[in-house]
Amino acid sequence: MDQPAEASRPAGPEALQVQVRSFAGREIVFDSEGFLSDFRQWTEEVAQTLAQESGLEALTDTHWQVIRFLREYYLQNGRAPLHRELKKGTGMSLLEIESLFPGGIKQGARRLAGLPNPKTCGQS
Amino acid sequence: MKKVKLTINGRAQQFIVDPKRVLLDLLREDLKLTGAKQSCDRKGQCGVCTVIVNGKATRSCLAKVTDLDGAEVITVEGLGTPQNPHLIQEAFVLSGAIQCGFCTPGMIMAAKALLDENPNPSIEEIKAALRRILCRCTGYKKIIEAVQLAGRFLRREIAPDQVRPDPNGPKIGVNHPRPSAMVKACGVAEFSADIKVEGAAELAVVHSPHAHARIKAIHTAAAEKMPGVIGIMTAKDIKGTNRLKFVVADRPILCDTTVRYIGDPVAAVLAETREQAVAAAQAVEVAYEILPAIKSPAEGMAKDALQLHSEWPNLCHSQPQIRGDAEAALAQSAFVVETDFSTQMNHQAPLEPEACVAYLEEGDEGEEPILVVIGRSINIHYHLGMLQGALGYENMRYEEAYSGGQFGIKIDITSEGLAGAAALHFKRPVRFIPSLTESMYLSPKRHPFEMKMRLGADRQGKLTGLTMDYIVDNGAYLSAGRAMVFRALYMLSGSYYIPAVKALGKLVYTNNPWGSAARGAGPPQANFALESAMDMLAEKIGMDPLQFRLINSLKPGQPKSTDRVVDQWPFPELVEAIRSHYNRAKKEAEDFNRKGGPVRCGVGLGTGAFGISMSGDSANVAVELDPDGGLSVFAAAADPGEGNDSMFIQIAAHLMDLPMSKIRLVTRNTERTTATGPAAGSRMTYMVGGAMVDAIQKLKAAMAEARATAYDQLKAAGKPTRYMGTKKNQDAAAKIDPVTGLGSSFESQVHAIQMAEVEVNTKTGDVKVVKMTTAVDAGTVINPQNLEGQLEGGVDQGMGFALREEYVAGQTKDWITFRFPTITTACEMEHIIRETPRNTGTLGATGVGEMTMVPTAPAITNAIFNACKARVRHLPATPDKVLAALGKA
Repeated sequence: MDQPAEASRPAGPEALQVQVRSFAGREIVFDSEGFLSDFRQWTEEVAQTLAQESGLEALTDTHWQVIRFLREYYLQNGRAPLHRELKKGTGMSLLEIESLFPGGIKQGARRLAGLPNPKTCGQS
Repeated sequence: MKKVKLTINGRAQQFIVDPKRVLLDLLREDLKLTGAKQSCDRKGQCGVCTVIVNGKATRSCLAKVTDLDGAEVITVEGLGTPQNPHLIQEAFVLSGAIQCGFCTPGMIMAAKALLDENPNPSIEEIKAALRRILCRCTGYKKIIEAVQLAGRFLRREIAPDQVRPDPNGPKIGVNHPRPSAMVKACGVAEFSADIKVEGAAELAVVHSPHAHARIKAIHTAAAEKMPGVIGIMTAKDIKGTNRLKFVVADRPILCDTTVRYIGDPVAAVLAETREQAVAAAQAVEVAYEILPAIKSPAEGMAKDALQLHSEWPNLCHSQPQIRGDAEAALAQSAFVVETDFSTQMNHQAPLEPEACVAYLEEGDEGEEPILVVIGRSINIHYHLGMLQGALGYENMRYEEAYSGGQFGIKIDITSEGLAGAAALHFKRPVRFIPSLTESMYLSPKRHPFEMKMRLGADRQGKLTGLTMDYIVDNGAYLSAGRAMVFRALYMLSGSYYIPAVKALGKLVYTNNPWGSAARGAGPPQANFALESAMDMLAEKIGMDPLQFRLINSLKPGQPKSTDRVVDQWPFPELVEAIRSHYNRAKKEAEDFNRKGGPVRCGVGLGTGAFGISMSGDSANVAVELDPDGGLSVFAAAADPGEGNDSMFIQIAAHLMDLPMSKIRLVTRNTERTTATGPAAGSRMTYMVGGAMVDAIQKLKAAMAEARATAYDQLKAAGKPTRYMGTKKNQDAAAKIDPVTGLGSSFESQVHAIQMAEVEVNTKTGDVKVVKMTTAVDAGTVINPQNLEGQLEGGVDQGMGFALREEYVAGQTKDWITFRFPTITTACEMEHIIRETPRNTGTLGATGVGEMTMVPTAPAITNAIFNACKARVRHLPATPDKVLAALGKA
């Protein structure tokens, strides 16, 4: 796993730092909460690395089912699905999905799937 | 009680009413005629409730119903409907006189009363008739023009169809009426307080009277027993984090242990009526232990200062900018100006209160209900996430109502947290329609800046170096405070090439009201210092200020102070474009001043190079080809009045070669839209418009590949009908060197130079702005009226910022104490519009909404100096400061 290549921010609270990390020679930008800034920069390798960092040994087919649904939904709608849409789309219960990913749906599944947080100003 | 007969919009009715009841409440609450608006707490200060009573324009908030027996009342709804509008409503729409639309019904009714009596009024007569009605967005120029046009319609000199652009003609660069304008003109656009919610209870909030105190106890027993009270909510009743995390989680919905500014919310009362809720809120007793209040950044940075937030130091952000050796450059400069400047805390002053509605909607079977929040957000997806965390409730939807003004204040949320929490806690639909004073308490303010600056030039008048140390009063909570610091830095060198720069911006927590975005957000404050210093330096050198600005213009291939090299910089052309106006104004001022007397005329300049789209910015827009061949556009692109609806529809119709009526915007609902970022930073046309262009290009490419010209053909070819477009800043993330602060900055610039012509009464210190001339280049113009409307409304705001307005916590409580600019303080305006297509723009366009706040204040203070040698360095330039600068204080 590559280490952060650069902490490209001026002095400020540590918690607000974005990170630029290198994956297979490509720079990928993460926000201060560890979410990808640009969903198009996501690769399966990114998901696998983030999964390992969060304590998952490997991503199973069930994990991939959730991740693929999240990505397809985002590509179509430009936002993350609501919980009820996630249930409907995966056929799984929220409890099942929550327990699949360390950090649950938002900090786990959505982050591994490369869905960015909504943006505002004051973050850059 | 008393029985009263009224004829309202032609219908005779009788009412049995309390003697205290005012006409506005009868219209809005009993008859659901919500065209007349409420802004000033029924004090008669804003006029947005104006209706016609017995032929006279009347502020309905002051008119007791029992005094009106037998009266004939006409409201805006009685004039016309969107399908069959009155000629005055048509005139307002066609003149571009409607932005947010909150003041529009009042303006239209006052105009009708005037035109009924005087069908051909002079400008002064129009100003007199409309003098009691305030407008914050549009400014007053287009409203005056609308009344003049209405007069021509009514006199049958011209018909609306002769003014209305051909809807089938060209779409770009044409004043097609704003899609939302007519519903606003007819009073049927629903703002948050206009939404009818069956069984809704009303909320009132207990605010802290102290700037800093510990909450020892909240005694609610007496209030709970009062009539109509449903319950009282405190921090312990909020199930989530109770923190509205904009960037950091420092701001509670309801304070739990500590209050940190005058106005901080402590408890909320829900009652059957607003009156009952307010009465009970006054009966809630809060025991405070008063703590020392940090009143200024200097106190906040003092060694022994109390830390306001345990997680973050009072000095919560600092950022440098060091390019070259500014100290050496200044030491070797032939001319140096060294001085300090400051700008005031200000309220953005949207006319609409911080109104909000929240209710629980039945979910799918077995699902928890959906908490629906309807408010005034300009970033509904982001704010939804904030609310979900703060309330501890996931199944939510945010809907944007029509919004009565924005100007940055809605970058963060206020009443939504309170209303949402109350709806969840009490399981009742909730309306929270705070008073104006409460709205001022709840909402963020424009940050005050204290600035120390040195600016140098060589013997030829070329700038050599700049140092700038500035401290920003963050107030009690961070919100977007960091952005004020870095935006000021990233636009620090303004329109110019400055070889060496050394700057340091600091942001400090205090116990003052919290700051956040305010039109321009940082640069209007810093640019006031730069543009004032430019004039002071020109004076020292003995060079004409216009020429001084021209010879120091940045050029393509040169870097801004951030070190980012620009490829376009169409500023010198604006200088040349304004030159003849400048020469005319100077001659007129000299002629006037030759006569002598206490009133002196002056001419002043200010410039601005306003950056748009920061590194890392991105936008997503989905478009979908509809079965009838129309196009739906999906994006959470708020339009609190700027005209984003025009921009989307005109561009989409142009690219798709469709009638504008076949472009459908879906923008206000989190369940149906893409998360495309805030309607802030002047980014909507450049970023979100650009993403829509990308989406349309993808759709058209798919149609071309399928040889499809219609929906059915595209479907038959097996192609999707929906496409996602994106626009991303060229830099995926801000790359800023931590030591020098150099690196990324804004990708695109809108340029302007502004000229103020003023009259200064040297005996009283009063300043009258006679005329403002703006030369602007924002690239391709999509809708000229909308662009002019941004300039004019912005200049009116800029004049208020320069001369009048200030928010003083605990003292500023309404529009009188705020000193809201009126139609009588409005001035003549002229625009020179150049269109240099931007290489990365949306059809060549960039943004314009905030730029106009950037040069106005220094143009005015420079004009004051030009008139009478009084240099005002601390805004607002009130008469006492002008007299002090004249040595007469």
